[in-house]
Amino acid sequence: MSKSPTTQQNAVTVDHFRMDFGKKTVIKDLSFEVKKGEVFGFLGSNGSGKTTTIRALLGIYQPTDGELLINGEQFSVSSGAKLGYLPEERGLYKKESVIDVMIYFGQLKGLSKADARQRSEAYLERVKLSDKASTRLDKLSGGQQQKIQLGITIMNDPDLLILDEPTKGFDPVNRRLLMDIIEEHQRAGATIIFVTHQMEEVERLCDRIILLKDGTSYAYGTIAEVKRRFNGMSLDDIFIKVYGDENEPEEEKK
Amino acid sequence: MHNLGTVFQFEVRRTLKKKSFWITAFSFPVIIGVVFAIIFFSNKTTSQAAEDTKNEKFSIAITDKSGLINKDLVKQFNATESTDKQASIDQVTAGKLDAYFYYPQDVSKERVEVYAKDVGLFDNGRYEGVAKMLLQQSVAPSVDPQTTSILQGNVGFSSTTYKDGQPFDGFKELIAPGIFLVLFYILITMFGNQMLTSTTEEKENRVIEMILTTIEARTLIIGKIFSLIVLAVVQILIILVPIVVGYLLFREQLSLPNFDLTSIPIDPLRIAISATIFVLSFLLFTGLLVAIGAATPTAKEAGGYFGMVMVFIFGPLYAVTLFLSQPDSVLVKILSFFPLTAPIPLMLRNAVGNLSHTDALIAIVILAISATVALAVAVRMFRYGALEYSRTLSWNTIFKKSAKKL
Repeated sequence: MSKSPTTQQNAVTVDHFRMDFGKKTVIKDLSFEVKKGEVFGFLGSNGSGKTTTIRALLGIYQPTDGELLINGEQFSVSSGAKLGYLPEERGLYKKESVIDVMIYFGQLKGLSKADARQRSEAYLERVKLSDKASTRLDKLSGGQQQKIQLGITIMNDPDLLILDEPTKGFDPVNRRLLMDIIEEHQRAGATIIFVTHQMEEVERLCDRIILLKDGTSYAYGTIAEVKRRFNGMSLDDIFIKVYGDENEPEEEKK
Repeated sequence: MHNLGTVFQFEVRRTLKKKSFWITAFSFPVIIGVVFAIIFFSNKTTSQAAEDTKNEKFSIAITDKSGLINKDLVKQFNATESTDKQASIDQVTAGKLDAYFYYPQDVSKERVEVYAKDVGLFDNGRYEGVAKMLLQQSVAPSVDPQTTSILQGNVGFSSTTYKDGQPFDGFKELIAPGIFLVLFYILITMFGNQMLTSTTEEKENRVIEMILTTIEARTLIIGKIFSLIVLAVVQILIILVPIVVGYLLFREQLSLPNFDLTSIPIDPLRIAISATIFVLSFLLFTGLLVAIGAATPTAKEAGGYFGMVMVFIFGPLYAVTLFLSQPDSVLVKILSFFPLTAPIPLMLRNAVGNLSHTDALIAIVILAISATVALAVAVRMFRYGALEYSRTLSWNTIFKKSAKKL
């Protein structure tokens, strides 16, 4: 199927996406675009369907209806898209050594073994974990494991970086590292989709945002546009206004 | 099959690096080695007992109520004759005498009593050896050699049986096809748990979501299954090589029968049937165990289902005699054609030669379909269960949910 020039120019195109799990509709009708090179904030309360949308975009879920495209094509593992994905649910092969796991993921992302090793060693040097290269992952602290996971996410210099609640559970040191990495990739022209509840991070990093509510887009545009729609309220206040009526947030049910 | 080779290499390499793999892999040959070592030392003890006795300063007292023991032999062993049983036992107890043999009046009805001081687990057997040899050598001159051989069971027999007009050696015939049955038993016993947990690890470690953006679920599962097959071959070699080397180098010391390997009949069709059943059964249970692992959130929960699978696989062993004696009974047919119970009955029946070609063909078709379905279900379950971190996958989810991608 040939795509329109606009679709091909977008890093991500979501067009009338609908997602049902059995009788439950998680996403009713969602459309938005992420332009190449922008940092896009994907906002919503717990259970609003952010992770579901990301998973459908990455081919992990089959959408019930609609189209989700990366660079104008449906994502597949062999499509050649240079992708970095840091999921909300995180973990690594805990009984393997740091370097073995990094090389493995590097190879899975299309790097040669030598290249994967070289990039892994360079990253470990950067985050001052070179002496841990041969250490089993479960022997590292939680913060050190987060660094490794982050390193794996960006190992292939992704054109599209998808970070699902990336600062969740991060200590201040790793949060700073993450922000540095986002800014580096932003400068290098990568597209970044940023799922978060941290409004100060959104304000600082994002070019445009979307707010998801009840399985559809509640607000969508540049931060300034969204703020104008809410009479100049801060993003924090907008978030409370939009989602404050929801009782105890429910975990996303898949 | 994007990234299949990468997954395969990673899975094989990391398993081979685990100590637990090598401990499990070598446990079987080590156990066999220990058993053979015991046999070796036991044989050595018995055969050298008399020689040792002659060479050593070895004090023996004998009471011969049977009148069978040759007095000259008693002298050769530097033994003394005793008339007081209890006094001799007391001397052994006090350590003043190495051994005391009491030959009763009628050795065919009463036991020969041996009292001796402990010289170690393996050497204690030599006392009985000496007592027995004294008795045998004492009576040997009064019996002609042929009678002695007959009574000692040292007569060789050569049997030739015929089946369909051709010589047929049932025992030798079952060796080649029977090897597959033994291998299947060993592999399932040793690898079953690894098959089961091969997919739970990704879920337990929460690594699956990152993996699925780099590789298709189907490719990941196939890579894992290929790695399991290679590891199984490594396991088989670890088991077989020491046994073959041990047999070739230590056959005489271990008193193993001298098999002329070239005399083992090779029936290509029966071997092919066993090999096909073996491969399909292995794939069926690999698929089944991987599917269970994929459907359950943790290895611990998967373990509960593992027991049920083992009952299906090995339960038919309780009906072994039925498979041998009544191959056409309804129960044998059911167990042979029901995929989960089929491997052992089929391989056993084929080994002993009572699996008809028709039954074999039907069973192979059933197993092939079942293995394909099991592997397909394993992939589907993995796909659906991959992101179920905290609950066991329901049948409804597996077969009715259309939202997720296969």
